[in-house]
Amino acid sequence: MRSPVLGRFRHGYVAPAAVLVAVLLYAPFVWTAYLSLTRYDGLEPPSWVGLDNFGKLFADPALLTSVRNTLIWVLGTMVLPVGLGLLVAVLSYDLKGGAWYRVPFMLPYALSGAGLAMVWSPVLSHDGIANLLLGVDTAFLQEAPQNTVAMLLVWTWQQLGVNTLLFVVGLQSIPKEPIEAARLDGAAGWRLFRHVIWPLLRPLTAVVVGLALVASLKTFDIVWVLTQGGPGRNSETLAVTMYKETFVASQYGYGSAVAVLLTVVTGLASYLYLRRQVR
Amino acid sequence: MFRSRVATLGVAALVLAACGGNGTATQQKKSELTLYNDKGAWTKFFDEMGALSKQQIGLGMKPTGYTDSAQYQAFIKASFRTNVKPDLFTWQTGGMLEEIVKQKQVAETTAVWQEAIKAGDLSQDLAPYYTIGGKQYCVPMNVAYWGMFYNKKVFDKYRLAPPQTWDELIKVADTLKRNGVKAFYHTSVLFSFVWFEQLMAGTDPDLYDRLATGKAKYTDPGVVQVMERWKSMIDAGYFINPGDKTDPGDVLKNGKAAMVSFGTWFNTSMTQRNMKAGADYGFFVIPNVNAALPKTSMIFESGPLCSLTKAADPDASMKYLKWWTTAEAQEKWATSRGDVSANPKVTIQDEALGAVTKDAGGGKYRLVNRYFEATPPPVLTAALDGFGKFVTEPGSYKEVLETIQKAADEYWSTHQ
Repeated sequence: MRSPVLGRFRHGYVAPAAVLVAVLLYAPFVWTAYLSLTRYDGLEPPSWVGLDNFGKLFADPALLTSVRNTLIWVLGTMVLPVGLGLLVAVLSYDLKGGAWYRVPFMLPYALSGAGLAMVWSPVLSHDGIANLLLGVDTAFLQEAPQNTVAMLLVWTWQQLGVNTLLFVVGLQSIPKEPIEAARLDGAAGWRLFRHVIWPLLRPLTAVVVGLALVASLKTFDIVWVLTQGGPGRNSETLAVTMYKETFVASQYGYGSAVAVLLTVVTGLASYLYLRRQVR
Repeated sequence: MFRSRVATLGVAALVLAACGGNGTATQQKKSELTLYNDKGAWTKFFDEMGALSKQQIGLGMKPTGYTDSAQYQAFIKASFRTNVKPDLFTWQTGGMLEEIVKQKQVAETTAVWQEAIKAGDLSQDLAPYYTIGGKQYCVPMNVAYWGMFYNKKVFDKYRLAPPQTWDELIKVADTLKRNGVKAFYHTSVLFSFVWFEQLMAGTDPDLYDRLATGKAKYTDPGVVQVMERWKSMIDAGYFINPGDKTDPGDVLKNGKAAMVSFGTWFNTSMTQRNMKAGADYGFFVIPNVNAALPKTSMIFESGPLCSLTKAADPDASMKYLKWWTTAEAQEKWATSRGDVSANPKVTIQDEALGAVTKDAGGGKYRLVNRYFEATPPPVLTAALDGFGKFVTEPGSYKEVLETIQKAADEYWSTHQ
């Protein structure tokens, strides 16, 4: 039975959180969407330019580079941190003391993106440790798309642990009976994984991939600290383009247009992916 | 129902009161001022100035230093619309200063300038950088002259002397190259503009000035030639790899490059590394590429220290700015950092920098505003990206110039 008191004030309970979300999330979003239709330098009042910023954005060759790099980040994230995370989780799950094997993968997750980039900067720079150890003379952070790939590897180093952990949790939540039954039927190794474990892991995989998808679409801090989107603009992602146009070039309207585009892309990708998963 | 409406209105009133600020607030009297700056690494020096000002004029100063210039600028611009206003803040000359002056945000300092010039604390030559519409705004937080810092031990080893002409500079670079030493430092981020401005100013300073004001194009033959010269120097192998992330101070100390071009503030990097002027490193004025020019072009920068028209205590802020220009304050400011000063009365300890400051003040050089200040932000962003690309792919210079010009066309179409 519904409490009459609770019923009367139920909206009141939600109100503070709703107000906070509205003020801190939706209002800035609406403001950003409005700014994307204006020319605004952060000082003089915004002047309405309609869809000009979007026209300019789609005619900008740098946008293509940003989209290409963002795509590399998305695909790379699926293959490396997510794929390898699954591999490490599956391989270490049944091992005696497997949790200890996972510890080294977990530790880098404690670092922030910017801290991570600071740590890897002296490794990947031209005079860096990577070149020294490998005995090569490679411009890891200068040439495209290898600079994006190099940063993706750094990202993998950090994200692998958390993905492994999530997959291990997923593996632990799988009921033992179907696996034992499959084993009795002679399934083992790849066949066991492919036909029994993988389908049972699917709900968890949907969450891990969904989170990784959104995180990779908004990649910013690693790129900003390691290359600032350069040299030129060859390692920019959409989030870096948004930051540079807004805060470095003081083109708040144009930067907002990039933000709107990034929001649409992220929203659309998440929607399409999740809709497919919950079918 | 009535009670709940009253309660709602009461809450709303409180929220509005809390958010609304106090447009009619009475002026505060301050004994300590906040100084926001984008020179986070200089906090120690600002702190020392705060202690000295407290002692000399009874006004303390607490610095808040940002290390990211873009974040800092966004914060300052946002602060104009709120009540969280800095008492004092650092900024840039050129278009950036003009932008905030037009918005009537910056307190006028004409009286401070007139008094300081009369007392010999500021030079008349500096005034144009701070003059907008015939009035002065802000005071010089610092000044810097750009030249070449060189590793004296490397020079001595190969019996090299500071060059007097461009040909001599190239001969020095060739000698170093023959001995397996990289002559020059350059980078693909932030300071990627250094060699562009140096070569432009040393080849055709008028064209450089026209470029900065949108009266010339980056695709003009004169600019293309400068880029071709720059490319030929990169192709000749004079520069270290632009992706080298070694701090330029360490580059010079280790001799990874024998010469590093920076403003006189780079001296602080040397002193922090226990390098001694004259023994470990030296400084020379970079000769013009074009020997026919009447004066040697010298890149010059001056960073303003400003206060706001709507500062919490305008009198205290103005008093501080006035004190900042005095010889007592500037002596401390310059000597603590081992740099030059905007006050001609201050004696510069470093002999080479002292000589440059004296000559610059005496009109020996053609002072050229640093590219960073001279160029409007959207064009500067495109240019820094472009030069960053160029130093890693020198063959891309024409494409780079066209990209920068595109940004310039767009900017100047609405800002002439």
